[in-house]
Amino acid sequence: MTEPIHDQWLVQIDAELDGELSLVERAALAKHLATCVHCAGARASQLEVRVALARSAGNPHAFVVPRPVIRPGTLVLWVAIALGIGLLAGWGAHQRWGGPGSGAPLEETRGTIVVH
Amino acid sequence: MGRSSSINAFLIALATGGGALLNFTIPMQGPGTRLTYRIRVIEPASVAPRILASGAVSGPLDTDMRLTLRSDSVEVEALFQITPIGDTVNLGAEFFTKRRVGRSRRGLPVWEDDTYRRVVRLAWNDTARVYPFGSSRRGAWVELILERAFAGGEARPAEEFDIVDTTRDFRLEAVVRPRRAHVVLNLVRGDTVSAPRPIDLIPEEPPRIVQLVLGRRVTTLELSLTRPDPPRSDRERALAIDADVVCLRVVPPDLSEPLGVMCGKLNNVARQLPLPNGDTLAATFAWPGPR
Repeated sequence: MTEPIHDQWLVQIDAELDGELSLVERAALAKHLATCVHCAGARASQLEVRVALARSAGNPHAFVVPRPVIRPGTLVLWVAIALGIGLLAGWGAHQRWGGPGSGAPLEETRGTIVVH
Repeated sequence: MGRSSSINAFLIALATGGGALLNFTIPMQGPGTRLTYRIRVIEPASVAPRILASGAVSGPLDTDMRLTLRSDSVEVEALFQITPIGDTVNLGAEFFTKRRVGRSRRGLPVWEDDTYRRVVRLAWNDTARVYPFGSSRRGAWVELILERAFAGGEARPAEEFDIVDTTRDFRLEAVVRPRRAHVVLNLVRGDTVSAPRPIDLIPEEPPRIVQLVLGRRVTTLELSLTRPDPPRSDRERALAIDADVVCLRVVPPDLSEPLGVMCGKLNNVARQLPLPNGDTLAATFAWPGPR
């Protein structure tokens, strides 16, 4: 019976750190954290993860986790690289297995004469 | 006694030497030797191989054999030729193969054409096994035995083929380039036909003058036998499709421009050529009789 309630508190912690809880919900969560060591630890872990993400984004003093920014030039470059790799792989596969017919060597499909 | 024994020894030596000379010369004489390709088409089966067809092609020493095997997905046409070398024989085969490799985007069958040549050397009466569908040795194979026999002046090719499994498409043909052709000529006008005029012609020999009489009118023509133009496609060349085709060139005696050229196989089918005087020249090509 306690597990679902505990899971719900974890969801509430996540929402609180994202600033999505009302005052009433934040008060309830604070009251629960004061009595639950496990949930308080989970909240500390969540906060440490967010600090690590902010550092990796180059802004360790941010108030919220910065969202990743995709620049149009980078996107075009990666799309072009992916298309090039796809075309090369397709060309290579066509050279190796392409065209209709079996992949058996030509000599194996040709007639032979054996003298007995 | 001594004299008679020396004469006997001389006669024996003469007979032995003559026999050796005969053995050496007879294989060289094409018309005196008859070649036979004896074949069996065999299919592997769970218990014992099954004979699907058997037959033989015979003719003068320069006779070739054309073998055709067809299925839904493969067509194999092969022209077998021999070159005798003493007691052995070189067997060459020109293969022309079509394999169905799939379908096009529009749903039509796509075929793969392949032409190649195989040569093996074997002794007379040895058995050669031909795997026409590839070296993986799946599917039917053909057992081929080459035989030779002395046969006077018999020059006409002969074929016999017995198909046991009639659902299969097999064909066996003799291919001989005729050295002579028997041509029967008729002049035709309406319901009137001249007396048949048989004539034996040799390809590429100088023209011969022939007179045909229809009613009371005499028509003089200069006739010569030629070979057809070289084959245009690889398949026709590889399989010698027009090997037994001859062309009759018809020229009026006082002109150099021909009235026409009639080409056909030696199969007793009449070919017709309209002449400027209103008559029609009918020519029938056939194999010449033995001589």
